[in-house]
Amino acid sequence: MREADPDADLEGALAAWRRYRRRRRVAEVHWVDALYQAYITAILGAITLFALAAIVGDEHLSAGALADVRADGADWLGALAAAVLALGLRSGSRGGPLALERSEVRHVLLAPVDRTTALRGPAVRQLRFLAFVAAVVGVEGGLLASARLPHHAGLWMAWGALYAVATLALAYGAALLAAAVRLPSPVATAAGVALVAWGVADALDAAEGNPLVAWGDLGLGPFHQSWTMVVAVLVSLAVVVAGVVRIGDLSLEAAERRSSLVGQLRFAATLQDLRTVVVLRRQLAMELPRLTPWARVAVHGTGRAPVWSRGLRGVLRWPAARVGRLVLLGIVAGLALRGAWDGTTPLVAVAGLALFVAGLDAVEPLAAEVDRPTRSRTLPLEPGELHLRHLPIAVVVMILTGVVAAVAAVAVPPSAEAVTVAAACVAPGALGAVAGAATSVLSGAPDHSAWSLAPPEAAGVRLVVRTAWPIVLAAGGTLPVLAARAAADAGRSPELAAGQAGVLVAVGFVAVAAWVVKRDALHETWAAVIDPDHPNNPRNRARALAAEAEAYDDADEELTDAR
Amino acid sequence: MPAEPVLVTTAATKSYADLVALAPLDLTVREGERVALVGHNGSGKSTFLQLVTGLLELSGGTIEVVGAPAGAADARAAVSYLPDEPVLYDDLDVREHLAYVAALHGVEADDDDIDELIERVGLTERATDLPARFSRGLRQKASIAVGLIRPYQLLLVDEPFVGLDATGKRSLLSLLDEAHESGAATIVATHDPVYVERVDRCLALRDGEVVHDGPATPAEVLELVTS
Repeated sequence: MREADPDADLEGALAAWRRYRRRRRVAEVHWVDALYQAYITAILGAITLFALAAIVGDEHLSAGALADVRADGADWLGALAAAVLALGLRSGSRGGPLALERSEVRHVLLAPVDRTTALRGPAVRQLRFLAFVAAVVGVEGGLLASARLPHHAGLWMAWGALYAVATLALAYGAALLAAAVRLPSPVATAAGVALVAWGVADALDAAEGNPLVAWGDLGLGPFHQSWTMVVAVLVSLAVVVAGVVRIGDLSLEAAERRSSLVGQLRFAATLQDLRTVVVLRRQLAMELPRLTPWARVAVHGTGRAPVWSRGLRGVLRWPAARVGRLVLLGIVAGLALRGAWDGTTPLVAVAGLALFVAGLDAVEPLAAEVDRPTRSRTLPLEPGELHLRHLPIAVVVMILTGVVAAVAAVAVPPSAEAVTVAAACVAPGALGAVAGAATSVLSGAPDHSAWSLAPPEAAGVRLVVRTAWPIVLAAGGTLPVLAARAAADAGRSPELAAGQAGVLVAVGFVAVAAWVVKRDALHETWAAVIDPDHPNNPRNRARALAAEAEAYDDADEELTDAR
Repeated sequence: MPAEPVLVTTAATKSYADLVALAPLDLTVREGERVALVGHNGSGKSTFLQLVTGLLELSGGTIEVVGAPAGAADARAAVSYLPDEPVLYDDLDVREHLAYVAALHGVEADDDDIDELIERVGLTERATDLPARFSRGLRQKASIAVGLIRPYQLLLVDEPFVGLDATGKRSLLSLLDEAHESGAATIVATHDPVYVERVDRCLALRDGEVVHDGPATPAEVLELVTS
């Protein structure tokens, strides 16, 4: 039996080994690769800055608009800080924000090394990197703001950076503390939602007292300074220091679950494999099917509609977290559509995105089928037809989500005249969301190898279209809202306009359903057209037919000669 | 006078939402005791071992290792865990793994100590290779060496024979015997009924509950696991 030296400096040994590993990793990175990465980052940053500059514009604001920014700007920046803080709380409740190597959890955190010391280094490095990114974002935001607001650009950039770094520090510290006190995920989610709702309500003057407005004030520092801004900075510092001090109390169970999933999640996200990202995210959140379903569905032999029945059973085992998420997404979509109805058209994109994400949950039975193609192909049913049969249950789920959206849209603030319009928009919204989500799930991850020889412009455009198309389909389901608004503005019946637009959405849904059924055949045809060696390529088929006809003529001639 | 307890569990339980992975368990394991943990897949063996290491958190009850709560620094110093799925670094070779883990536990392991252990598990030819490129069996051997280079009073081994060839299995059995002779308690979770012949006590789990605690023959184990 080996014996440990009671006076051994375990933390010192750990630090020395980490330095050794880091030196070796750095030595393995070729300077050309590092330069290339820096070059790509700089190019992307410049493109983002120019695109945002084009959107923001460079004309100075009118006196009225400037007064609005002075009055409400800090409230909206406070709401943004609340959203970042909410993300931090959620990450912490799931073992974040650190994503350790699994071997670090097993060998370092299970050794008698002081865990706070062992984790402080990785945490400080991560915080340093995130603070740098936040500062860059803050500087860019300040630069954009300076184009339209009075005061020097340098001043805006400095305050922008301070706002971003203070907000990041607050959220990062809160995440570490949430992980240390083992904050349950539902509590973190509820707290996050409450913070964001408070922030938005404050910005809309429907509530008061959002404490994060003090962080928002930092972003508008060039306009005015107050002692609350000093408090915001000090609180951010205090929270992040407290988080680092408590870092050793994190749950190993959550840390290990996170360590094994976060790497896969990042890899799937890099490949734009949305389905894998969804599945891994659920595992990270421990989102498991209920052992006891919400309601029992009686089994009568094989049943007449096994696919529908399977879908329904799957939905009835959804965990409460998933149901809650659909309700939340329904509320977000409803509020965004209410905003669009009141005149802010771009909010349709927010509603479309929320409905698309909800749709990804709704098409889960279909997605589970797509994940197991071998099993699907053993069934005496064409895959396309099988996939089509999964859609009705998804539509039912989305109609229920749409009802939540309609209630939210009508209730905040209450409007009796919006009830009939909202009711007319529920079904089209559901159809659009299911069409978008089903398209995304069936399309799968992009096959980069197939387009590796294409010009970058063509491959890039294809990638953007492929990524955006399902979301556009989902947003298309909200068309009746815009049609109803236009009709109401023109003095016509909004309900009728919504209904007519709804018919258009239904036609689009039927087209998507037809694509679902015929997808394999269409792919086969397309593959034959673009591949000159494919036996079904039109030229090859023509040659084969010509050869067949020639052979027939020869046989005919031989027969005639024989006679 | 009975040996000192190294592991004491009191109503230790683990559940995931409405799924009970381990029903309340009261157990005492003493110094030098050899325990086999048997049960079918999903019976709670790995859950129990991971609770003792501190990798999983208890839903109720307590677990103490050498008088300290599971997961506390003193408990971590006393427990060595050989998992069923080897977890190793991608960028360290076998020798570096052993040197690293020894350093983390305050062990002065010189080259001879490391080479001897590497030889015992049959990895001499691969000592400077990265385990990331090993087969399952070789990774398992590297994991065994990593678990045994450090001091321990309680050795937890999860499905140790999976993926090992006959030589590897023999070496492991010999190393487990040495661990027992040095006074450490061993708890080995296994599906191999023959292994119970080498232990003092067999603990059988079924659906998270203890259904047998005491000596058992291989035939009895088969019945306990399959019935």
